Amino acid sequence: MNNLLQINSTDVTVFVFAGIIVLALLFGFIMYFLFSYRHKQKDFQLLHDQKQQIDVQKIELEKTLRELKSTQAQLIQQEKMANLGELTAGVAHEIQNPLNFVNNFSEVSNELIEELKTERQKTESERSAGTENDIINDIEQNLQKINYHGKRAESIVKGMLQHSRANAGVKEPTDINKLADEYLRLSFHGLRAKDKSFNADFKTDFDESIGKINVIPQDIGRVLLNLFNNAFYTVNEKRKSASDSYLPTVLVQTKKLNSAIEIIVRDNGDGIPKKIIEKIFQPFFTTKPTGQGTGLGLSLSYDIIKAHSGEIKVESKEGEGTTFIIQLPIL
Amino acid sequence: MFRDFYHAFYYSLLIAATVLCILFFKNAQRPFRLLAVLVVLTLLSELTAKYVAYILHNNNMVYHFFTPVEFLFYVLIYQQFFSSKKWNYILWLCFAILVFSEIFNTIFFQPLNVDNTNILILESIFLVAFSLSLFIKISESEYHQHLLKEGIFWFNSAVLFYYAFNILIWGFHSIQVYNLKNPPMFIYNFILVFSGLLYAIYAFATGLNSIAVKKRRLNHE
Repeated sequence: MNNLLQINSTDVTVFVFAGIIVLALLFGFIMYFLFSYRHKQKDFQLLHDQKQQIDVQKIELEKTLRELKSTQAQLIQQEKMANLGELTAGVAHEIQNPLNFVNNFSEVSNELIEELKTERQKTESERSAGTENDIINDIEQNLQKINYHGKRAESIVKGMLQHSRANAGVKEPTDINKLADEYLRLSFHGLRAKDKSFNADFKTDFDESIGKINVIPQDIGRVLLNLFNNAFYTVNEKRKSASDSYLPTVLVQTKKLNSAIEIIVRDNGDGIPKKIIEKIFQPFFTTKPTGQGTGLGLSLSYDIIKAHSGEIKVESKEGEGTTFIIQLPIL
Repeated sequence: MFRDFYHAFYYSLLIAATVLCILFFKNAQRPFRLLAVLVVLTLLSELTAKYVAYILHNNNMVYHFFTPVEFLFYVLIYQQFFSSKKWNYILWLCFAILVFSEIFNTIFFQPLNVDNTNILILESIFLVAFSLSLFIKISESEYHQHLLKEGIFWFNSAVLFYYAFNILIWGFHSIQVYNLKNPPMFIYNFILVFSGLLYAIYAFATGLNSIAVKKRRLNHE
């Protein structure tokens, strides 16, 4: 080192100058980095805040959705119970018939047993084996009828219980004609029992070839009941204002198509105005006076038919009537 | 030990930094613990250098050995910060190059009794590259805390400044020696001042990290 030459001032100047440039560059870099980072940090913060807001909104929406689902389930159950209320009179009427039979046949059977006892108290010469056998046969027939009508009442009660059940039913082969007929009668008698002035005619035209199809009977029953109730309601309303020549009529028809069956419910009521026909399947839409309809009947019917992969359509002419057509696939 | 102001400045800051690093070691995160160990090792190497200089009147050999060790710690620290397979590979490759260069340089160019400035320049180039890359990584990441409160920012800035100047200083030194000129004394003083500041900032960064970790722990509790 001692042999080395002394450094000149130009070299030092160059070194200092280079040092200043490096220092300036590094400071510039750090300042730029800090500035751009701060800018990014603000963007990140904004994004972070927005994400947090979205998360909060998401939680609130999920909560609302849960509440909505719960409310929807409650409303569906309420609608079922309302239907059940409407059914009660019809059910009472339907049960009354078999009960009358049960009562009558059991009374007759009691009388026949008394007759049999009297016959058996007679002397051997007065007794007639033929008469005794006839009485026994009559009692046997009566008991069969009592049993038959008892089972009919039981099936009506079972149907009612199925209708009110909250949980989803299972699909089973169902005789649609029988189901439609049952619910048509229940609807008719129910309305009649509620309103003594109610008067309407109903006709059925069932296609016997449709056989049994796989549906949830209580759900399809609920749909049919809704349509029947609406049809009877509208014809009855029209009757109140129409001339005497007007015959309120509800027609229920079934048809077999290629891969589906069709249930047609036609009434000759006032029809549905064009401006509201698009809304009738919307939840809570009703034309009935406050307190008479929940506005969920057709909406639920629509959902039920869709859940069966079917279709429900409506055709209506103002002043002439309405036709609801349900198509259910044969699976 | 303190033969002039620059030495006194350097050794005072290095000793203070070592004490602080030991104090902050417990709560610091892994990369800052490694940094604390590096500061302690630096003090030990300086003491060893003093001792060797006292015995052999030339302590350059200590730096020949310490430079790869120092670089190893930087590799470990940056490995923690980058935490990616690609960077693991790059860092260890750089380390291998540096060790090989040190051996090669010692055999052919700068023996143990001469300053290993070539290796210091190479180390500085690598560290400046690591530092710039880490800045890019930081700018792309989603930090939410204020950057000036982050130990990583101070550590990386210190590395960038110090080693960029190291390239300049040792480059200038090498040019002077190559031109058979006597390097001016002030560049050694520069090195002492910058080194003192470097270790002080390392201690500061370790402290920031330690405090941040402690705060986070308290918040969790």
